[in-house]
Amino acid sequence: MKDQLTKEEVLHVANLARIEISDKEIDKYQIELKQLLDDVEKINDVEGYDEDILIACWGENTNLRDDEIGNMLNPKEVIESAPRHSGNYIEVPVVLSDGEGA
Amino acid sequence: MEVDNILFGLPIAVKDNIITKGLRTTCASHMLDEFIPIYNATVVEKIRKKNMIIIGKTNMDEFAMGSSSRTSYFGAPKNPWNKKKISGGSSGGSATTIAARDLLFALGSDTGGSIRQPASYTGIVGMKPTYGRVSRFGLVAFASSLDQIGPMTKNVYENALLLNAIVGKDEKDLTSANQMEEDFTRLIGQDIKNMKIAVPNFFMSDIVDEEIRNKVEEIIKMLENSGAVVDYIDVKYLENTVTLYQIIAMGEASSNLARFDGIRYGYSKENPKNIEQLYYKTRAEGFGEEVKRRIMVGSYLLSGENAKTYYNKALSIRDDMRKEFLNVFKDYDLIIGPTTTTTAYNLDDSMDDPSKSFMDDVLVIPANMAGLPGLNLPIGFDYSHMPIGLHIIGNSFEEAKIYHLASFIEKELGLDLNPNLGGEEVE
Amino acid sequence: MSKYIPTIGIEVHVELKTNTKIFSSSKNGYGESANSLTNVIDLGYPGTLPTLNEEVINLAIKAATILNCKIRRQMHFDRKNYFYPDNPKNYQITQARTPIGYDGYVEIEVNGERKKIFIEEMHIEEDTCKSAHRGGVSLLDFNRAGVPLIEIVTKACISSSEEAKLYLEKLKELLFYGDISDCKMEEGSMRCDANVSIRENVKDPLGVKCEIKNIGSISNVAIAIEKEIERQEKLVDNHETFQEQTRRFDDKLNDTILMRVKETGNDYRYFPEPDIPYVELTDQMISSAVTSIPMLPDERRKLYISRGVSEINANKLIANRSLSDYLNQFIDTSLSFKEAVNLLLGDISGYLNKNEKTIYDTTLTKEKFLDLIKKMEENTLTSKNLKDILKQILESEDSIDTIIKKCNISNITDTKMLEDIVLKIINENEESVQDYKAGKDRAIKYLMGQIMKETRGSANPQIVNKILIRELNK
Repeated sequence: MKDQLTKEEVLHVANLARIEISDKEIDKYQIELKQLLDDVEKINDVEGYDEDILIACWGENTNLRDDEIGNMLNPKEVIESAPRHSGNYIEVPVVLSDGEGA
Repeated sequence: MEVDNILFGLPIAVKDNIITKGLRTTCASHMLDEFIPIYNATVVEKIRKKNMIIIGKTNMDEFAMGSSSRTSYFGAPKNPWNKKKISGGSSGGSATTIAARDLLFALGSDTGGSIRQPASYTGIVGMKPTYGRVSRFGLVAFASSLDQIGPMTKNVYENALLLNAIVGKDEKDLTSANQMEEDFTRLIGQDIKNMKIAVPNFFMSDIVDEEIRNKVEEIIKMLENSGAVVDYIDVKYLENTVTLYQIIAMGEASSNLARFDGIRYGYSKENPKNIEQLYYKTRAEGFGEEVKRRIMVGSYLLSGENAKTYYNKALSIRDDMRKEFLNVFKDYDLIIGPTTTTTAYNLDDSMDDPSKSFMDDVLVIPANMAGLPGLNLPIGFDYSHMPIGLHIIGNSFEEAKIYHLASFIEKELGLDLNPNLGGEEVE
Repeated sequence: MSKYIPTIGIEVHVELKTNTKIFSSSKNGYGESANSLTNVIDLGYPGTLPTLNEEVINLAIKAATILNCKIRRQMHFDRKNYFYPDNPKNYQITQARTPIGYDGYVEIEVNGERKKIFIEEMHIEEDTCKSAHRGGVSLLDFNRAGVPLIEIVTKACISSSEEAKLYLEKLKELLFYGDISDCKMEEGSMRCDANVSIRENVKDPLGVKCEIKNIGSISNVAIAIEKEIERQEKLVDNHETFQEQTRRFDDKLNDTILMRVKETGNDYRYFPEPDIPYVELTDQMISSAVTSIPMLPDERRKLYISRGVSEINANKLIANRSLSDYLNQFIDTSLSFKEAVNLLLGDISGYLNKNEKTIYDTTLTKEKFLDLIKKMEENTLTSKNLKDILKQILESEDSIDTIIKKCNISNITDTKMLEDIVLKIINENEESVQDYKAGKDRAIKYLMGQIMKETRGSANPQIVNKILIRELNK
């Protein structure tokens, strides 16, 4: 078993996490992340896996909320915490790609 | 205003990952070092209803990730028993302020031992309640399926009083449980004759310092002499809990902390050229090393097929582990063992080993994994006069039984738990 | 006919008609001022947790039932993790492993033949916030963040743009009539993506798939699919290889344009949402949702035709939901649907359109409408009379009898009185009487006109006609 991750592997997880890392940090993470990944690898030694167990919470089923309108924020409160805003909008720098979601 | 309850007007410190309206809530991170929330956590509403006074927010490991409070953006608190030592973590600030006798009451949070382990290192009482007992609404999430808020106090009775004040089903938290109203102090002072207690062999294995094991064995003898029945048993999966915990906690954390992106609140990189730069630089500069490491590993664990081989499998085995524990509670009232494998270590010990902060919590993590309540009770000191803690685990929603046993031992031991700081400042 | 066989799958996102958002109690609204419909949950503030709106589950059960889906009794939610400014938590709460509905179908009619469009699955999720691009920045409005959606995914079983169009029209009609969504594509409450590929032979594996995102109208979906098929045909004809990609439809170009080439599978890092326990659908929840589904279009069509309404008029009425609902109040009465539909689609629609009202904004109560149709059937109220007093009927609280009295409008059915008038006209128009006797039928019309003029239109034409012919033949 190799004792560190490749640079590409480190950059891949850093991209997933949207965290910039310097070249110097890559060296460090190659070793540190590898050690944590070796730790979690030990799950392969544990037997038994029921694929129907899908959720971490136990106890009761979800209580549903009545469809009644509750308190909302004033737009001023919404933008107050935001580092960049314009009018009642929160502002972000130009978006390069289009959304991926819904 | 009428004094309508026993906690009325008493000051309380709140861990800084619990949201307080109008009061800076930092999670000890640069990411939130100027964040002033616009709402209150449910527990904060509850203690305000009792007219307790929030006197301050306490230091912690950044986003509760760590076991020594040294990952705090603001620097680590010092142990009141020896200021060269750590206070443990992540609720190190709350533990310190109680141990130093600044206050009677503090709130902590416990994802993998973060209340009980620092309580053990500082010689105080800390309870992690049953998962679902206390609302998580307003607790900045680290690992949603494990996080739980709990009371930290100098003694058992006060701990039970504070728990009385913060529990209850909350419609804002779907994982909070329906529960009967009860007084957690009600069994305090009763004898423990015929109480059945289990000691998992793993908890007394050589991963634990001999000094600590000896101290726990003394307690066991004392309990037997008082009419309790104590058996050593095997509990499956205990040796795997750290692995399961790492997978679940880092996986969930990577998703929970994705919201810190510099757009709506918190630290934000100035003058980013585009959105990608805003994300990458804000998160690189806003998070500390431990947090970044865990987010990256967590992202990997959920990536592609890994979600199945790691996270889903860990959930499934975790479920088996819970069943193991529930089986034990068919025959026993409580489970006991040491809280930590060592006493508090030095603040300047190396932080280079990324696994160490997990291994520090090997004995306390099982209660989080099984959703069970667990409490640390100080039971004495090692040769260097650092506190040693006993860990008591109870069945789901049986916190009162834990307080029952803890108060009995507390009374029998009659320890002097004041570190006598001589008026020195404690950070 | 092209030598290629297209294979099309369609994904539709529909915003549900609820009062509040899916995971918070903020108002679910459209067109209100920016960031006025939010709370700390919608904004993904640290420490916040989701709650689950009961009405979302109720509507999703209804939708699944309408789409003939099987319903999952125990379900959970999953997190779909991706960074994007319109995604406040940088994960979207959705259902990846346990969609509430699966294995359903919608039936359409293509060239006179019925075809089932199969639904792979239907799941619940939250909408993203809205972003508008201005120069170097994007402006975010979180009013839409957390609006409940269902996503309906067909199997790749659609084989033409025509089928796609028919499917979407049918789907829209069903969801609208099911009270699931207002399905306004122009407001984004219904959004369509199409996956298109082509192959030469049904035995071939499916070709390279391209996804066309967020097309703004059903007719544009058909155009976008056509254009995409043409584009792919050219590429295949020229033996060019091409990659899986995402395109969008540009209204102005009337064509699809490339958004991005798909990377090797998006890594959404799905995992079960730990903040929401299992949701158990009880028999009671399901049956109460199912029994509250309103009568759907196909059933309405059948009903109207069985009660004598022409197919054309039945379809016209279904295209106007509020009139169709209005008429359905009378299912259990002996009302003549044919007469009622003529009136609803005729004079009443004219009035409603002109005044920009719905029938529920008028004073036309159930009793009043029954009375009106009865009077018209009995000819005690002529269509001429109706035109004169329609405004009063629809705007005043008075009964029709009162209105007739007040407006001094009488429908003369008094035979003696009519006989006098008829005789008077016959005497005054000797010439026309002669014409009639000479076999010129036109003369009757003229005489009728004179009588109506004399009575200012208030004579019952059938009675007049009868008396006139009797008198002329004397």
